[in-house]
Amino acid sequence: MASVAIRGLKKAYGSVPVIHGVDIDIEDGEFVVLVGPSGCGKSTLLRMIAGLESISDGEITIDGRRVNDLEPKDRDIAMVFQNYALYPQMTVAQNMGFALELAGRRRAEIQAEIARAAEILSLTPLLDRKPAQLSGGQRQRVAIGRAIVRHPKVFLFDEPLSNLDAKLRVQMRSEIKALHRRLRATIVYVTHDQVEAMTMADRIVVMNGGRVEQIGQPLDLYDHPANLFVAQFIGSPAMNILPAVAVAPGQLRLSDGSVIAAPPGFPLRHGREIHYGLRPEDVRFGEGLPGHVIDVEPTGSETFLVVSVAGHEIMALAKERLMVAPGDPIQVALESPKAHLFDAKNGLRLRLPDAA
Amino acid sequence: MMRRSLRPQAEGYMLLLPALVVYLIFAFYPMIDVIRQSFSEWNGLDAQSRFVGWNNYRVVLTQDPVFWGALVNTVLWTLAAITLPNLIAFGLALALNQSLPARGTLRAIFYLPVIIASIAVATIWRWMYDPFFGLFNSLLTEWGMSGWIQDWLGNRKLALWSVFVAHLWSSVGFSMVLFLAGLQGVSQTLIEAARIDGAGRYAVFRHVTLPALGPTITIVLVLSLINSLKAFDIVYGMTGGGPAQSTQMLAMWAYTQAMQLGSFGRGAAVSVILLIITLVIVIPYLRWTLRRSTT
Repeated sequence: MASVAIRGLKKAYGSVPVIHGVDIDIEDGEFVVLVGPSGCGKSTLLRMIAGLESISDGEITIDGRRVNDLEPKDRDIAMVFQNYALYPQMTVAQNMGFALELAGRRRAEIQAEIARAAEILSLTPLLDRKPAQLSGGQRQRVAIGRAIVRHPKVFLFDEPLSNLDAKLRVQMRSEIKALHRRLRATIVYVTHDQVEAMTMADRIVVMNGGRVEQIGQPLDLYDHPANLFVAQFIGSPAMNILPAVAVAPGQLRLSDGSVIAAPPGFPLRHGREIHYGLRPEDVRFGEGLPGHVIDVEPTGSETFLVVSVAGHEIMALAKERLMVAPGDPIQVALESPKAHLFDAKNGLRLRLPDAA
Repeated sequence: MMRRSLRPQAEGYMLLLPALVVYLIFAFYPMIDVIRQSFSEWNGLDAQSRFVGWNNYRVVLTQDPVFWGALVNTVLWTLAAITLPNLIAFGLALALNQSLPARGTLRAIFYLPVIIASIAVATIWRWMYDPFFGLFNSLLTEWGMSGWIQDWLGNRKLALWSVFVAHLWSSVGFSMVLFLAGLQGVSQTLIEAARIDGAGRYAVFRHVTLPALGPTITIVLVLSLINSLKAFDIVYGMTGGGPAQSTQMLAMWAYTQAMQLGSFGRGAAVSVILLIITLVIVIPYLRWTLRRSTT
């Protein structure tokens, strides 16, 4: 297992830059998830680590060794693809042993590695099957097995669960996590699904438009998003964002003219434009501004409410069962000590002076 | 006015009907009738044909020296035609699948001969092969290689292969396009997976490209097999089967027997024999490849 260091990494296709200088340090044995909307460059970044895309500028080192100019096979990495990429004419065992065979390893050794990987992934009864005879989940397990047998320094996963149905995705999620604990492997994992990122990662790298927006532990990103993009991307449903202007000390005026109290401690200049961010679970009912219910989405354990208040539609999450129907009037409290303030110009989250 | 719509199946049959009628009249009926004719004697002019049983087959197989020569030529031609042009086509397809400058133009150039009518191909090549004024002998003279000068279509040992070269030129493009289509269907991800697994160019070709081309290879082989067994127009246009029957082929001989020698029964018998040979080779091959692809 190994560390991965990415320094000033850039990628351009012709004159079109797609990665604008990325720095990431991945520690030995760490599970790092690259997450972002499609087109943010996360897959390109992963493919640059794998050696499938050339590096326009900057440097990637694996375990201290610069790999920029090494072929994929010489980088000591293994990759799991979204569409599994299994060799259709080979059996499960042959698929898993292929890399070792190419490396010229002895037959007995290859058999032992295949048996071990099959055991870990519960593939032993399927070793003689062809990929076409397997379900999606089984195929993805074989693809993971193909990576395991090589004992690579780094495992790369490119949206490996996107082709699976919801239930299987949840199951494979915990299997991959268990595998990470068992192998103590360094894993770089790409997904567009922030729930997957939150539940699996040791650390998350949030990317947008070819840049890193923030790197941090899942709950850290959730509680302390660096900017508006991360605040809205991490968390489901997304954080409510309301434009506001600072008026009297500690007071914010929303776009419809309603005034609410700012979270305490922020020295806000009069007239400063900000964005007021409030997570759905921090919205309270029964007091505050008048509004009305637009939609009710009960999930059983909790209730999502879409309410119209202060000229905005906001999403709220109630732990208790609310007996309300669309159209009902409701009092909505938008004030919360957990609310976030973002600079309206650059989108950065405002920090409390004493916490900085 | 009330509009009534037909059931989907009925609509399907309606749309198939015109094509079906054409096929029945011009393909299926002649095939059945040629079998009937092969058991009868008819000169193409008389009002009545006469039933003669297996006689045509007996004469063709035992008393017709040209038939066996034509059979040998057809077999040699077929063996050459399913290997050589397809290997060249495969090589061209692999090369033209790379990102080369002017790739599209090169593809068009190599495909061009396919769209030329085969009788025109025959004419072009007959001129180039002309012993006195043809391109090849002129070039050889130019290059001081007059010792290599040949009567390309007049030499009994050479004529079949001279015709074959023309066939190769005109048929390579067709297989090439099929191979190119097949190559485009090879999964890029699979190639990348193989590269990460440590496969070099050859291993990628052997373990990813070639297996993915299985169905394409089957189609190319079956089509070129059928095409070469029924080879007729290019031979007809270049040599007419000569000199001394040295380029005679079964399809050509069936035509000559019926249309030129006025023995429709024998011509039909040769056709039926050719049909049987084709079916005996093609059907088991198709069954074999289908079985292999389903397991």
